[in-house]
Amino acid sequence: MMKLSNITKSYGAGSLVVPVLRGVDLEIGDGEFVAIMGPSGSGKSTLMNIIGFLDKQSDGVYSLNGEDVKESNEKQLARLRNEHIGFVFQQFFLLPRLNAQKNVETPLIYSGVSKKERIERARALLQKVGLEDRMSHLPSELSGGQKQRVAIARALVNNPSVILADEPTGALDSKTGAQIMELLTGLNREGKTVIIVTHEEEIAAYTDRIIVLRDGMIVEDRKVTA
Amino acid sequence: MNIWEGFVVALSSIWNHKVRSILTMLGIIIGVSAVIIVVAIGDGARKQLADEMFNTDENAVPLYFEQMEMEENGEFIWVDPPAVSGDQLDQVKEVPGVKYVLGTNSGWGSMIHNEKNADMEMLGVDNQYFIAKDIKLLEGRRLNTRDNDSYSRVVMIDSLTRENMFKDDEEAVGAIIEIDNNPYKVVGVFETTLPPEFQQLDDFSNGQMLMPRTLISMMFGAPEIDTISVIADNPETLFDTGNAAADKLNELTATDGGMYIAQDMTEFVEEFDSFYLTITLFISSIAGISLLVGGIGVMNIMLVSVTERTREIGLRKALGATRGQILGQFLIESVTLTSLGGMIGIGFAALITAVAAMFLPFTPIINPIVVVIGILFSSFTGIVFGILPANKASKLSPIDALRYE
Repeated sequence: MMKLSNITKSYGAGSLVVPVLRGVDLEIGDGEFVAIMGPSGSGKSTLMNIIGFLDKQSDGVYSLNGEDVKESNEKQLARLRNEHIGFVFQQFFLLPRLNAQKNVETPLIYSGVSKKERIERARALLQKVGLEDRMSHLPSELSGGQKQRVAIARALVNNPSVILADEPTGALDSKTGAQIMELLTGLNREGKTVIIVTHEEEIAAYTDRIIVLRDGMIVEDRKVTA
Repeated sequence: MNIWEGFVVALSSIWNHKVRSILTMLGIIIGVSAVIIVVAIGDGARKQLADEMFNTDENAVPLYFEQMEMEENGEFIWVDPPAVSGDQLDQVKEVPGVKYVLGTNSGWGSMIHNEKNADMEMLGVDNQYFIAKDIKLLEGRRLNTRDNDSYSRVVMIDSLTRENMFKDDEEAVGAIIEIDNNPYKVVGVFETTLPPEFQQLDDFSNGQMLMPRTLISMMFGAPEIDTISVIADNPETLFDTGNAAADKLNELTATDGGMYIAQDMTEFVEEFDSFYLTITLFISSIAGISLLVGGIGVMNIMLVSVTERTREIGLRKALGATRGQILGQFLIESVTLTSLGGMIGIGFAALITAVAAMFLPFTPIINPIVVVIGILFSSFTGIVFGILPANKASKLSPIDALRYE
């Protein structure tokens, strides 16, 4: 579980300091399905970056499973990203010269998993997301929905506890977007913590809890009742 | 990611940018191949020089007559070496360590046979020559002591002359040939000792011919012995033996004009070596500049590559790559690029030297040490000029990199 206490983040220095997060308190338990919403400039991307260890808070305490991660150095942050977080991006961000299987294997290269095991795990996950017949296709040979499935398989490959998805359906048509949301819902049912950053109500509606940010503060935190 | 995988990734990245990679590697290719070619040609020339100087007989040392006074009243004076007789050489042969003493002379003449004409050099020998040298008799007989004693008008020709001047079905042994309008009888044919590249017809090399040295002296006006060389029992003490032989010869021929000395051929080789070292250093410094410029090209292209792949770097970091791993990836890529350039340079050098071997009078020798240094140095260039771009890549912040358009 992750706990954020009075997290602030500002950019710039001196008189040009721009505060982006102004004291966020948030607790997300294991296995939750959460949407983070808010207009652009509300600080939701910054919050996601901090949760995902891509960025460090200016102040406040962020603890993962009871451990404060503030003092982590860059190498430890890379390790936290590698082991605990699976990222899914709006623009997929697949490596264009690698086929689907190699893309899925990438995080395992950085955690030092043997080649044989990498291939096994990548293949199993591509099968899970329904792409067993697309394993050796390059991203350019895949549709948007298929690319996002590869990205999800890649997010899962190191067996992280948290899936962090930034506008995962933003570049997809609504039908494909719905399929992706169902896939993410399924992962949540299997016990993964899934956090989705979105500005679309329909997407947020898939989740169990909606957190709304405005001007760097949480203004709403409600359970979704089906 | 282990180094081998990084290498494979780097190769595919280079392959995906073929033209760019080749252009980038050009400086490295030129630098490495230039050094290898120059050293190969130098080594080949050096070996040829050494072979010729030692007359392919590393166990022989020539005795030269060195004048004491070169000038008199500002005029250059030429002192004839004292006449040396066969008997004196026989005495020199008694010096401990001396195996053989060869006394020869030579003459030039125009040979006519079968209405063909050729300028020939005749080497005047005695029977010692056949004992000391490995002369393979193909037809007829060798020259002997009696030929020398009686000034017999006989010659031995080599296989090349036989081929050039005689008809295939013509009997060479017993034939009468004309040299400078005088008749001589061919008594034997020996296998030519000319190296293959000289076995061609031109104005200077038509083949070899042996005559009794007394005959050369009589017919062509040369001293009976004008070239002396000593062959030692033990090659290691060749020059000591040569000097002892020269001392003996000086004692026998006693003259004020000068003295015989054993010419240490290694001096010539050393002189050539120092000349060749200068050339090599000069070319190497040019090659070094080429490698430097090539390295800067590599750095430039790697910086472009880092910028182009900013998002890839951000993504890899998001997926858990550490700074060290990103640094390693780009460093391996630049090292792969320059090493590949080095290897292409070696291939290019091998090609050039192979082609050059067809035109040069000697065979260039590619030095494996220089090849290894070439590979190491080109890899080293990749490290030196790859550090900056790789470091830049590793320092990118993942969020900035992911947002990069």
